[in-house]
Amino acid sequence: MSSEELILSQVQELRRGTVVLACLALLREPQYGYALLETLNDAGIVVEGNTLYPLLRRLEKQGLLVSEWNTEESRPRKFYRVSDEGSRVRAELVREWDDLAASMARLTKESR
Amino acid sequence: MSANTLTERYVHEVVRRVPADQRAEIGDELRATIADALEGRGADERAVLAEMGDPIRLAARYADRPLSLVGPELYPAYVRLLTVLLSTVLPLVAVLAAALAVLDGGDAGAAIGSGVGALITVGAQMIAWPTVVFALVERSRYRDRVVRDAGSWTPDDLPPLRNRDERAVGAAASVAWNILLLGLIVWQHVATPLEHAGREAEVLDAGLWSGWIWPILAGLVALSAIELVRIAVRGWTVRLAVWTVAAEALFALPLAWVLYREAFFDPAFLAEVKVLDGFYTVTALGVLAVSANRVLQRFRAARG
Repeated sequence: MSSEELILSQVQELRRGTVVLACLALLREPQYGYALLETLNDAGIVVEGNTLYPLLRRLEKQGLLVSEWNTEESRPRKFYRVSDEGSRVRAELVREWDDLAASMARLTKESR
Repeated sequence: MSANTLTERYVHEVVRRVPADQRAEIGDELRATIADALEGRGADERAVLAEMGDPIRLAARYADRPLSLVGPELYPAYVRLLTVLLSTVLPLVAVLAAALAVLDGGDAGAAIGSGVGALITVGAQMIAWPTVVFALVERSRYRDRVVRDAGSWTPDDLPPLRNRDERAVGAAASVAWNILLLGLIVWQHVATPLEHAGREAEVLDAGLWSGWIWPILAGLVALSAIELVRIAVRGWTVRLAVWTVAAEALFALPLAWVLYREAFFDPAFLAEVKVLDGFYTVTALGVLAVSANRVLQRFRAARG
């Protein structure tokens, strides 16, 4: 494995957990799968559809998201939105994230 | 939309691999997102689907299912069992098959032939059945794990270290013994090793094959399967012990009954071997006692 490949796979590991938090943050407003994917990618959270769509279903099953089919547009689309439980989890995760970011900033200050 | 577009074929390949009650919903969602991607990106169908990737992988993610037959947790036990079976039991069976061919009046060629034959057929079975059992255990464990992760683990959950491997070897030996027994029963039926009154005959009563031999064989198969599960999950559980009761009953009760009725051996065998008076009663009781003892041990190990 070349060092670029190594970096790439480690970056993937780092980013893996961030998708859930990003979804919980973005889905305060109802959104359908593809639009959410685009928003995430535009925001620099790179995720593929084949990861995101099953993830949304799983979060719904866990009670963190709720969904509703919108049939008013030309095509029926499933809109996801954060549940009350999801909001609580998001707040907790944001706190964790801030702590982690602060710790990491301290730890990596000298090695930059 | 015609039913045979790439999208429909793709959606079909995904949904047929997820639980039936979720198929319609996942299908609708997939169709909507693929249509959105087509519209949003202006790309062609082929590129969008290629980006979604292998339908088997996507379906596994939707169904939250492992993509491996035997996962990392079970892998060591799986390899150990195969090693024991293939390195010790299989050569024994092959040698036994060769020896039986010689006893049957065959020459060296016949002996080598049946030895190699046993090596291939029994070897294939020894790989196939443990793999099937381990894969099934893996699936059920994977589902449990999602639930179990929520619970907390304490050091009390650690299984005891002592004698663990010894017991696994014991269980593997018991599997091998059951399979050997099974093989001998089938062999004596197919090969008819005895000669009596000018024709070939079996050791066991031929009438058994239109009746009692089937639950006995089924019981042996079930007992082997239970032992394999026991090796995979590294210990006896109460549920496994309960299954053992059923399998032992299936095996031992018909066997004891056949012995008690003195319908066990073929007349051709009895013509050559004198069976003592008390033999049938003692053996029938012995079979029951051994089975009962085995069931008791399983429950004790499950509690223990």
